[in-house]
Amino acid sequence: MKKKGVGIGSTFYGTGYGNGFPDVSRAKAVLKEDGKVAVHVGATEVGQGSKTIMSQMAAEVMSIPLNDIIFICEDTKNMPDSGTAAASRQTYNTGNAIKLACEDLRKKVIENAFKELKLNSSVGLTLKNGEIYLKTLPSKNISLKELALCLLKNKELPLIGEGSFTAQTIEMDEETGQGAPYWPYTFNVYGVIVEVDTETGLIDIIKAVCAQDVGKAINPEMIEGQMDGGFAMGLGYSIYEDLGLKEGKMKNKNFTNYLIPTALDVPELEKFIIEDPESTGPFGAKGIGEPVMLGVAPAVLNAIYDAVGVRITQVPVTPDRLLRALKEERRE
Amino acid sequence: MSLKNVYVAKTLDEVLNLLNQYGCESKLIAGGTDVIIQLREKEISPKVLVDISNLSEINFIDESEDKITIGACTTFTTIAESSILKDKLKGLVQSAESVGSPQIRNAATIGGNICNASMAADIVPPLLALDAEVLIESKAGKRRILLDHFLMGKGKVDIKPEEIVTAITFNKPKNREALGFGKLGLRKALAIARISTAIYLSLDEENTCRKIRIANGAVGFRGMREKEVENIFIGKQLTEDVINMGIEKLREELNQRLAGRSSAEFKTTAIAGIFKKALLETANNCKE
Repeated sequence: MKKKGVGIGSTFYGTGYGNGFPDVSRAKAVLKEDGKVAVHVGATEVGQGSKTIMSQMAAEVMSIPLNDIIFICEDTKNMPDSGTAAASRQTYNTGNAIKLACEDLRKKVIENAFKELKLNSSVGLTLKNGEIYLKTLPSKNISLKELALCLLKNKELPLIGEGSFTAQTIEMDEETGQGAPYWPYTFNVYGVIVEVDTETGLIDIIKAVCAQDVGKAINPEMIEGQMDGGFAMGLGYSIYEDLGLKEGKMKNKNFTNYLIPTALDVPELEKFIIEDPESTGPFGAKGIGEPVMLGVAPAVLNAIYDAVGVRITQVPVTPDRLLRALKEERRE
Repeated sequence: MSLKNVYVAKTLDEVLNLLNQYGCESKLIAGGTDVIIQLREKEISPKVLVDISNLSEINFIDESEDKITIGACTTFTTIAESSILKDKLKGLVQSAESVGSPQIRNAATIGGNICNASMAADIVPPLLALDAEVLIESKAGKRRILLDHFLMGKGKVDIKPEEIVTAITFNKPKNREALGFGKLGLRKALAIARISTAIYLSLDEENTCRKIRIANGAVGFRGMREKEVENIFIGKQLTEDVINMGIEKLREELNQRLAGRSSAEFKTTAIAGIFKKALLETANNCKE
């Protein structure tokens, strides 16, 4: 018999290394001779989209087109350390470092511009759309490109902005468990509808919904991509992926036996991006890499309970495990 | 022995000559979905590969008045899309559709699936339920053998090194006869059968079972007929009680066969739902 059930799984997750461990990201922003800005940063692109959103952040601060940002990462000779692409920390930590580096460069650009424009001070000078100009008299202006050429002539290039960001976390008191081990936290909720076949133990996910708190969506489409990916991984964790550990040895050591969901197994995910800017985040943004998969398993397990009245406490819920649990329930 | 040569055969004669010349030093390769893995895992080490994937002579589906013959090099995609095999032979189409993924179905062949003799081979239970015959050729001549006798065990079939399976043949379903199929895989694609079942059913006007042939996959060392279970149904109307009796018998059989295996409890439980669904679908298809 096929039985339907609904389940919700809600999580909150502290991003970053946490617990007082030094969590430092560094970045450099460099004005090039052609007026473009090179961002040197030790953030690793692992498919999560860090290159894209961090270039967006730099372009926003420098007020230049995205194409005028040269993003340099994954080359230790040319970049400062920004820590690992782990703990869902790059958007928040390295994003902040890039923002600081670009703000530093922006300040230096404006200071150099007032000299070139032969003004009394930098007061009232601003940088917008690649131009530095006086707000009260916009005809007093110089483009980033022109400024770069002047600086090149005066042998004042490269002009470098630097930024370093250290996350604020405090080690927990071992005795009392009190403290502030993480900042910031990211919130997430999944809802799923499952159909459980009580004769075969097969579980079909009919519908899934995800609401993800992101602080501020730097790139909404990429966040949706992260949500789709996290859901597929969470689904595999919930009902498919089984190492088959026996006395420390893996029984399922290839993808014939270690099953991950195929495109046919992953239903359409309805996605909601929740924006509530984080005051310490770059433009309010927070990391969501791990959070997007955390709520899936609790939601699926709750939905199974709703469908058949059995609490499963071990993942993955493979058909044989589920049938055994149903049998035991009937015996009791 | 390391691989010396790959012959891409264009005619069956060429293949028969090569097999005759190289014998057990040769291995036939069609879709390669099993052979390539066996080569890589060093489970086989032939000196010569005879590639028959371009052999149009044995890539066909033929229909005569009372028989259907499928060439050994016919792919699962071709079987799944065949206009000859639909309707009453839906079970054969469904089993072909359940093989691997589109890429695998485009390459893998019915002859390869049979000769690889996996206990979970998807096309084997429907062919056993159809009481299919295997056509075999060698330079010395031709022979026919029932698939049920051809399959000897896990990875073992009754074939000599100089022989090749050229086709599979079976009787066409008559009026009020049909073939059904059911499979339990752990996901919706690229799933090796944990259980597969095929049922050939002949019903009279009163819904009484005139003939039935049941074959299961992945519940024994090879695809197997379930003759004890068939006996429960023959001559009886397909009522809820009779179906349940049949399922009980099926469970008994599986319990004995799988005794001591970690999958026994799961498979004897799960077979009920898979078998019942396939049986009811087949019965409905008989009436259409």
